[in-house]
Order: sequence, then C-alpha cells, then structure tokens
Amino acid sequence: MAKAFRASAGIMLAPAVTLIGVFVLLPMLLTIWLSFRDWSTQTPFSEASFVGLGNFQEILGPTSVGRDFKSALLNTAVYTALSVVLILPLSVVFGLMVYQREVAGGTALRTVLFSTYMVPMIAVALVWSKLYSPSEGPLNQLLGLVGIGPQPWLSSPRSALVSIVLLNGWQQVGYFTVLAVAGLTQIPGSLYEAATLDGASGQEQFRFITLPLLRRTLLFSAVIAIINAVQVFEPVALITQGGPVGSTNVLTYHIRRVGIERAQGGLGSAMAVMLMLSLIVCVSALFSLVNRKDGE
Amino acid sequence: MSTPARPPSRKRPSGNKALLATAMLLVAVASAFPLAWMVLSSLKTPAETMQVPPVWIPHTPTLDAYEKVAGVINVGRSMWNSLVIASVTTAGILVTSMMAGYAFAKYSFRGRSLLFSLLIATMFLPPIVTLIPLYRMVGSIGLNASLAGIIVPNLANAFGIFLMRQFIAGVPDDLIDAARMDGASELLILFKIVAPSVAPAIAALALFAFVYHWNSYLWPLTVLQGNADAYPIVISLSRLLSYNRGAVNTGLVMAGATLAVLPPLVLFVFLQRFFVDSIVGSAIKG
Repeated sequence: MAKAFRASAGIMLAPAVTLIGVFVLLPMLLTIWLSFRDWSTQTPFSEASFVGLGNFQEILGPTSVGRDFKSALLNTAVYTALSVVLILPLSVVFGLMVYQREVAGGTALRTVLFSTYMVPMIAVALVWSKLYSPSEGPLNQLLGLVGIGPQPWLSSPRSALVSIVLLNGWQQVGYFTVLAVAGLTQIPGSLYEAATLDGASGQEQFRFITLPLLRRTLLFSAVIAIINAVQVFEPVALITQGGPVGSTNVLTYHIRRVGIERAQGGLGSAMAVMLMLSLIVCVSALFSLVNRKDGE
Repeated sequence: MSTPARPPSRKRPSGNKALLATAMLLVAVASAFPLAWMVLSSLKTPAETMQVPPVWIPHTPTLDAYEKVAGVINVGRSMWNSLVIASVTTAGILVTSMMAGYAFAKYSFRGRSLLFSLLIATMFLPPIVTLIPLYRMVGSIGLNASLAGIIVPNLANAFGIFLMRQFIAGVPDDLIDAARMDGASELLILFKIVAPSVAPAIAALALFAFVYHWNSYLWPLTVLQGNADAYPIVISLSRLLSYNRGAVNTGLVMAGATLAVLPPLVLFVFLQRFFVDSIVGSAIKG
C-alpha cells in the first residue's frame, strides 16, 4: 500500500520539515559558517568577512576574550557534572519510592515532585534568590536549627555555582524521577521473585537486578540532563549576572552576551560551535561507555 | 498507555515501612517547601518579609503585594501575551507533528529513516547554538519585537514528531486502509480516524508544548528587545526584581511569581496523567 502515497508523504512532511529546516537546521549551519567569519550581529550576513580560524584562536587564546570563554566553558562543565551527579541518583531513589507498594502515597509523591517541573525557571530563580537570602532567608534559618552556621550561597564565588545547581536540581528531579519509574516498569517482576526465592536481600536485588537493567534509562537520563544543564540561563541572567567574580558565568549566558548584547556574532558563533563539539564528544563518550559494558 | 503490572510486593519487616514512609514524607515536604514559601510570602506585609528569624505563616494575610504588582507591570497584558504565545505555538506544533508523525509511521518512502534521524537529532540541539543567526534571521524578515517573532520559529519541533510517530505507529493499518477504500483523503484520515485513536498522546503533547512555551524565557527576551507591550509574564517578572531592588520587594516578587506559576501548575494538577504519559512515551516506546 505504501508506495502509492509518496506524494502524500511530501505534503504531510512539508510543514514540519520546512519549519525545522529554516528555523533549526539552517541557523545551525549558519552558526558554523559564521564561526569562521568576522561579523557584527547588527549587520546582514553578507557583510561577514572570512577570518579562517581567527575566532577560535581568540576564544582559546590568552587574551581576556579567551580567558572569559575558557572560564565559562569550565563553569559549564562543572555545573553539568554536578547536575548529573545530583539528579541521577536522586531520581533512582525517588523512582523506587514512587514505584513500590509497601507504603501508600507513591503517586502523590510523584505529583509533588513533578509539579516543580511546571514552574517557570524564572520564577524558580526569583523564589530561590529569596530562599538563599543570607539573613532573612529560610534556608540559613533551617540550617541554624540543626546547628550549621549561615552559608553565603549566591554571594560567594565558592558556593554560587553549587547554589544554582541545587535550585536547578530541585526543579528538574521530578522529571527524571518519572523517567526512572518508566525504566523500573520495564523490569520483569519475575526476576525479583526468583531472586527472593534464592534468598537475595533487597540490597543485592538492587545491585544485581535493578541497577543493571536501568542502564539504558540512566543513559537516556544522563544525555537529557547534560543537554538541559548547558541551557541554564535564567538564574544567572537574573540573580548573579555571571558573578561573583565570574563564578557563575556559564556558556549560554556568555554566548548570548557576546553574540547578542555585544553583537560580536562571529565570536559568539565560534563559542557556540565549541559548545556543540563538547556536547558531541561528551555524549558519544557516554554511549560508548554504556555499549562497552553491554558487551561484557 | 495502561499502567503495567507491578512486581509483587516483597515481604519486609514493618520497621522498614515506617522508615520508608518517613523518607517519602521528607522528600515531599522538601519538594513542596519553596512553592509554599512563595505563596505564603506573597501574602505577607513588607515588614514581615524582612523579619529575622523569618515569619513562616503571615499573621495578617494581605493581598497588597498583588495590587502593587499590578502597578508595576501590566499583568493582564502580559498574561494575555503568554496565552497567545503558548496556545498558538501549541496549535502549530500539534498540526505539524501529527502530519509528520503520520508520514513517518505509516508511509514508506526513500530516505525515511535518514530524514527522521536528521530531525530527531535537532531534539538534542541546545537553543543557544542557533540563537545568534536566528535572531538576525527573524530580524531581517521583520518579525523582531513582535509576538510573531516568538511564535513562528517554534511552530514545529522534533519532540512532537517523535512522540506522534511513536503513538501513530500503534494505530492498526486496517483502520486506515478501510477509510482509504471509502475514498477518504489522507488529511481527512489523519484528523478524523488517526487523531481520535491517539487522543491521549495528543493531549500529552498539547500540555507539554503549552507549559514549555508559557515558561520559555531566553528566546522571547532575545526577540523582544525591550518591547514591553509584547512581554509574556515571565519576562515581565524579571522587571519586578529590578524595580526597587532589595529585600523590600520580596512580597512583590513572590506575588508576581505566584501569578506566573499558577496557569501551568493548575493545568498540571488536573491533567498530570497526560504529562507523565508523554515523558514515558518518549523514554521507553523508542
């Protein structure tokens, strides 16, 4: 039947393919093209002049442009790593809490966890900037109750980036919990029955059944978490403006500042290309790691 | 879409049950706390928001902060802009995703898997990578500083196509063939036969797209370039922070945040099954 509908396929695909082609694929190619050019974002593309690897030499070089970019790249890497390390284990633990029958309330817990994902990031940033407030903020007050002294949170270069990881983790963990639950439902219950008959403890069942069979889910979650992490923008744009002392200057914020606000379109594009390359390397490394383990 | 059977419950000592229940409660409280704090703070008097140690529950709840928000930003206009952006974008995504999803699920044509992979790859492309040329492109076709500039580039996306293909693939071919025998056109088949049988997936995609575009910040901020008339509520919110900077405006900021949070949150509480379905559909049906 299918062959007769080749014409229909064209009609059905045209709107989506045109839109994605024009507004996603074309700008992506333009980013790569612009990364080799000197171009002010205020001028038409035709005025971009070829500079070879000049932009890359500058953003990777020793000048202040290079220093700012490299520190933004490093901040983003640290931010991403911390986010994945925070979110993934929590999503598995919370997923197990949601997906169990011993104690009622799993679905209610999922609702509470996931509702934070509906909150606009800008509102999250505003609310947490007040939660983090050193004197009248509730977080330091709560820490005081358990005998921990006040933390500087967003106001110290040592803790600002971690503070943003925490607020972002709070918002996103519910989403990854749902992914973890989706993975858990795929594990056949018969495996647990057999393991129980063999006398395996709960811990052993988690280590030898749950965790290995969640590997694909965790890979998917890690990829999504990485892609999400490099997009962090609102808390930085609104609360810290990259500070204190550049400690929260992450790539999305930095690229927008260079490419849009300072209109240095060529430099900004080169930075965006570096981000894309880093992501490709990072995600392929993850995939090969998981595939190698699969082969064992 | 149905809930799969759960593993049979394992026997555990009851001490573990109490521990588990406590842990679940703690997680729920920690998760709900910032939102509860937000709503409570929006009802406090300015003096209460600054008190040390903090006032947890306002003694004399007041809506003053909400009145003040209305004095600083045009709440009605911003909410309307957000509504227009989110609903028009969602409608576009639904139509383009259903059509493309149907083509990928039910037609075979040369280059199908290549084209599909190419489109799906864009799902993993962070928007910042295309932001600079896109900003210029939208400007050069005269759409900057307008709602259309926010909406048009987002009328199709890979996630929608992917989700629709996953679910439409499950619609029996016999159903479609029977309609073709009756002489129905392909578009009619898609919207009258296929769409109703994947209604829950369409609902899921609609909700997801609506909430995503209600909440999105980076692109509108870049396109609008200070045209306050077109600000969605999330952009207007950031103006509350710069207004009268300092602790004094805590109540104001919290009231504004509460207003911005309400529509997506209310939608979620009533329709959360669809949200969960769409995530699960994207995660395990592949």
